[in-house]
Amino acid sequence: MEKDRGSRDTEGPEVERAGKDRTCESVRHQTGRRELLQTIFMGAAAVACATFGLDGEARASTCSAEANLAGPLLAPKGLVEGNQLDRMRHELLLAMKKPVSKRKWVMVIDQQKCIGCRACNISCNTENNLPPGVVYRPVLSQEVGKYPNVGRVFTPKPCMHCDNPPCVPVCPVKATWKREDGVVVIDYNICIGCRNCLEACPYSARTADFGDFYGMGTPEIMPYETRPNYEYSKEWKRKPNSDDSPVGNARKCHFCLHRLREGMLPACVTTCLGGATYFGDFNDKNSLVHELLGSSRVRQLKPELGTKPSVFYLA
Amino acid sequence: MKKLNLDEITSKQALLDHNLAEGPEGTKGITRRAFVKNSALVGGCAALAAQVDALSHLFSSEAMAAENGKYAPYVLAQPENVIYTTCLQCHTDCQLKVKLWDGALAKITGSPYSPQNYLPHIPYATNPQDAVKIDGKLCPKGQAGIQTYYDPYRVRKVLKRDGERGSNRWKSIPFDQFIKEVTQGGELFSSVGDRRHYPGFKDVIVLKDAKLSKSMAGDGVKVGKGDMSIPDFKAKYRGHLDKLIDPDHPDLGPKNNQFVFMSGRIEPGRSELMHWFTNKAAGSVNAYEHTTICEQSHHIAYGMSTDGKTNHMKPDLMNCEFVLFWGTGAYSANFGMTNMAEKVTSGRLERGMKTAVVDPRLSNDASHADWWLPVKPSENMALAMAMIRWIIENRRFDQRYLENGNKAAAVADGEPTWSNAAYLVKIVDGHPLELLKASEAGVGSNKEFVVSRGGKLLPVDPANETSAVEGDLFVKTTVGSFEVKSAFQLLAEEAFSKSLQAHAEQCGVELQTIIEVARELTSHGKRAAVEMYRGPVQNPDGYYAGCAIITLNILLGNADYVGGLIKGGGEWKSFGGASSSPYTFSEMFPGSLTDFGTKITREGGRYEDSTLFREHGYPSQRPWYPFTGNVYQEILPSFSSGYPYAGKVLLLHMGTPALSIPGGNQQIIQSLRDPDKVPLFIASDIVIGESSMYADYIMPDLTYLERWGVPGPTPDVPTRVSKVRQPAALPLTEEVEIDGEKMPLCMEAFVIGVAKQLSLPGFGKNAFGQGMNFDRPEDWYLKLVVNQAYGNDKNDAVPDAGDHEIELFRQARRHFSKAVFDEARWKKALRSETEWRKVVYMLNRGGRFDGYGKAYGAKTMTYNAYGGMFNLFVEKVAKQKNSLSGVYFSGLPGLKGECDASGNPLVHQEGYPLRLFTFKEPFGGQSRTISNYWSNVALQPENKIWVNSEDARRLGLQSDQQVRMVSQVNPEGKLHLLDGDKRVLDMVARVEIMEGIRPGTAAASWHYGHWAYGANDVVVDNRLIKGDKRRAGGICPNPVMRLDPILKDVCITDPIGGSASFSSTMVELLPVNK
Repeated sequence: MEKDRGSRDTEGPEVERAGKDRTCESVRHQTGRRELLQTIFMGAAAVACATFGLDGEARASTCSAEANLAGPLLAPKGLVEGNQLDRMRHELLLAMKKPVSKRKWVMVIDQQKCIGCRACNISCNTENNLPPGVVYRPVLSQEVGKYPNVGRVFTPKPCMHCDNPPCVPVCPVKATWKREDGVVVIDYNICIGCRNCLEACPYSARTADFGDFYGMGTPEIMPYETRPNYEYSKEWKRKPNSDDSPVGNARKCHFCLHRLREGMLPACVTTCLGGATYFGDFNDKNSLVHELLGSSRVRQLKPELGTKPSVFYLA
Repeated sequence: MKKLNLDEITSKQALLDHNLAEGPEGTKGITRRAFVKNSALVGGCAALAAQVDALSHLFSSEAMAAENGKYAPYVLAQPENVIYTTCLQCHTDCQLKVKLWDGALAKITGSPYSPQNYLPHIPYATNPQDAVKIDGKLCPKGQAGIQTYYDPYRVRKVLKRDGERGSNRWKSIPFDQFIKEVTQGGELFSSVGDRRHYPGFKDVIVLKDAKLSKSMAGDGVKVGKGDMSIPDFKAKYRGHLDKLIDPDHPDLGPKNNQFVFMSGRIEPGRSELMHWFTNKAAGSVNAYEHTTICEQSHHIAYGMSTDGKTNHMKPDLMNCEFVLFWGTGAYSANFGMTNMAEKVTSGRLERGMKTAVVDPRLSNDASHADWWLPVKPSENMALAMAMIRWIIENRRFDQRYLENGNKAAAVADGEPTWSNAAYLVKIVDGHPLELLKASEAGVGSNKEFVVSRGGKLLPVDPANETSAVEGDLFVKTTVGSFEVKSAFQLLAEEAFSKSLQAHAEQCGVELQTIIEVARELTSHGKRAAVEMYRGPVQNPDGYYAGCAIITLNILLGNADYVGGLIKGGGEWKSFGGASSSPYTFSEMFPGSLTDFGTKITREGGRYEDSTLFREHGYPSQRPWYPFTGNVYQEILPSFSSGYPYAGKVLLLHMGTPALSIPGGNQQIIQSLRDPDKVPLFIASDIVIGESSMYADYIMPDLTYLERWGVPGPTPDVPTRVSKVRQPAALPLTEEVEIDGEKMPLCMEAFVIGVAKQLSLPGFGKNAFGQGMNFDRPEDWYLKLVVNQAYGNDKNDAVPDAGDHEIELFRQARRHFSKAVFDEARWKKALRSETEWRKVVYMLNRGGRFDGYGKAYGAKTMTYNAYGGMFNLFVEKVAKQKNSLSGVYFSGLPGLKGECDASGNPLVHQEGYPLRLFTFKEPFGGQSRTISNYWSNVALQPENKIWVNSEDARRLGLQSDQQVRMVSQVNPEGKLHLLDGDKRVLDMVARVEIMEGIRPGTAAASWHYGHWAYGANDVVVDNRLIKGDKRRAGGICPNPVMRLDPILKDVCITDPIGGSASFSSTMVELLPVNK
């Protein structure tokens, strides 16, 4: 598979190293967890700039990026009081004014608020124009108990954006790495589609793009499937009968980096009907996510693996 | 890597050989590059120099991209690529932010301007440039609407059948030919060897004289009531008897009534337009919606309880401390989950709100609630009666509230509403027949009623504001010769007719749970409410169950309270009538016909007021429905059986009775298939659906993303909202021309075309009055928008859009051809530049939204409150008889049980062990979402039949095993489609064994089991269009559902509210041997 390697101007070993340096202590236990997280995240500071996304923004002179981000604030007070989404949106705008190395993105999912509607799943599909078989945010449903004492638990499961990501070291071409703001990314132009990372991920967060279209076998492949998406702030146009990226690549959640850059929350967050999905900068002590991570309900998926996810659950 | 087979993709023809990428004339060649060039011109326009500030960040992302050369601009966050409109994947009608990429529909989110989608919402004055980066919430159905619009199976030109009905063979014909054929009629299908004469609109629209229709209408009513004799009527209209369906029954009305408009989903804006066309231009009384297969009895229960002042109330979820959800919830369907869900999740977690859910299935709501009450699907009344009994027994009702007999008494107690609980009811021959009049008791006039206070009879006028009257609740006495009881006494007697334990056993819920929930409900003062939607009312006793649930609220006296039961914020008037309205439509129809006569469903009128009654007495041949409307399931059986008269022209719009009516589907297909029963059948649809596949013609319609509307407010939302639906996505149907006006093919084009062809009033030149023509959709819809813009009184108008907003408005519509958006032409629908600027202001925001929080007072709601009396006893219903049995209905909710049309208990045959019911997944919407591959295929490719593990063990069913669902009325478990491919649909699906479903029941979600809608092969213009098997997954359980044993061709129906029963069927699941 011929891939354009020219566009990559930096690489990710530093990120890898940062990953290895992490402590393996579980964050499941409350004691000292917040301090621990703080230490971990600060440890990731000395990371080189990567190719795209927020790193570039941080490198660029502040004028354009900040004009963009500081621009559309709401009159008169700017914040819609009592609106959780609006609070997070404003926290995002503040975070985006900082250099990338000073941010640490985390997602918190409150399972008592998750109503199992799948709006996040569809929102992610439409935002990133995902083809059949590619899923960034499945929602698992599990029934517990016996009639009449029955319950149902929903678990939305995006990429965990591990601080110690098992998917990164297995990549033979270094197409995937962890950014200093905590987001594990894939460079589609480098990925060769070997799917080692799919195997390595203990959360099955990665799926492969086989070049399918929902319109296959129907009278017409419609324009919504061939319009570009804006992952990593680049234009990726899917064409039938073409191997061009992202066809052939491993794909996964990237916390909607392209939206963050615009001062917009990830698509799954803005659409969450139950208000169950929170997102923000853990380095901001006043942020909603920072507040939430002080709860005794905090859990993580498979903490015993020491992957240190950036996605937390409130049980 | 799997390769695409290009031949496979390109050789198959779309329904129209229309290259979407190019678009209609006028949009061809617009690319992003071209747009960027164009936008530079905008930015440099000297005339707009004053607005430079606002314009500059219109294109800021582009500018930034150019600067660092590294990032692709995120065009979906640019205001010129966004149009705000209103959803219709369900009737919740969320406000949408539609994002376009190079003119293609790319993404749909909720609008931050609306309290329905962003709570609290952003201020209305927020500049669209600032709002563009704020996305609101939207449910999975709404977001997947892209695939409804971009359905590769959409019909784009008029299709005429090219074989027998249901042959699955079609040919496309020009719009003009279509209009000519359906208006003129004739041997329309001679090309397929059919020499039959088909009627056209001209054959039914025979009464065309406005004056004559008005006069005949008045006399027709008199004849029905017996106030004018038939010979007198005949003599008076000697020269016009040929215009009547039956001169011996003039009260049936004119032949015009043989045109029937039947719509599945139709909403404000379009709904009024179709009434304008059907009732006033074509002079037919027969225009229908689908409501009785949805939740009509719930509306009728509210309507009867409030003397028609409201038909829908909801808990104030933001302030309730306890909500009992009954057969519904906030996490799927209802009205609707986007606006309701977070109020409940955050209420529960952050405010300590508690919830209980009545549902035979562990819904997502139930799984997160404090109590789950897995009621037997048909026994809601017993559960309600148990709660009513416990509340009365334990004196946990609001006595002070209930004793208030009029407004003055309510006001004195600071209560916003009151009830007739203390009113005395006359018992005649054992039947609580009517309210005792003060004149009958010798204490007042015949306009007043009577309460008893300490043994003394007092006259009471409900509306009296000055002299408070209170009455005792438990009264049982005689007044003169009348045996009387208070309404509350009658309620108590009904509730006490069985023990609590007996009620509990009947409804199948643990007595302890019932008591706990009743105690909780009555532990929060006015900050608790019982919420219902379709679950408890789509039953044969649906109206009564609805009344019983409303009664639980009346016992709390919670209406209009913050945290109680509210009406919602309402809307600004679309059709005028306010002092500020520029266009009052009721005064804008010169030459309107007066439609009259019995509706084909016999709804809205009494059998006793008809010549048929005087001739035949009880029983009537089919039921009459005096209290309800839109009795959807009754339209086709009446139309084809000829009672009270036969229909001739059927126009089916956005509806699919063959699929969506619970039972009688085989009979419906037989009727639609047969030109003797349905002589001309025109369908307006976006695809070839399960019912439109039998049509003579399919007229392609636009989806909700390409057209207009002014959908109604959503009652859960306390803020005043006026919604606008407007063209956002490029219309995909053929462009047509009527009298020089180009427009996309749609329902509006059809009625304009037919009306002009037949010179009907209300359309064309001077249609709305001198100088106001009706030639294209905007002539109608922009007037509605501007009415909303001018508000409900003088100083209530929205601001004018400034120049920069006007420019943004144009830019955002640059993908449209002139047939869709022509600024100069749109302006002609209005009278002034000011009107236009207000319209633009609204369209730039997708409607009008009041300030958040304005709806709340300290204790009660500040606007659009009910503020009236609740009828615990509904006199109107008590005085009416069932037209089949001649037996009185009841003025109070009562334990009537599951009955047939004549009121006899329904008997279930042995051998069918499971009671069937249906539900909706949060991502599915009945008949119209199977094209949404993201949800209805990727998330769940088929629905399964849920059964409890206990039943699975008992019946020997395995997980994922294929079973055939059979019932008493469909022991074969098959549906014969009678189509050109002689298909027989098997009622087969897989089993899902669950704990979260009541034993003894079986449930199937209701959005699968398609046999058309792109699921089957069709031939269009001699080319084969292969169906997509992914769309045929799962099962639609309707074809096994129970038929009324007396009528035999229609489902079990609530005789008062008209709701179709979805839970009156016992089924067996037979393993399918492969």
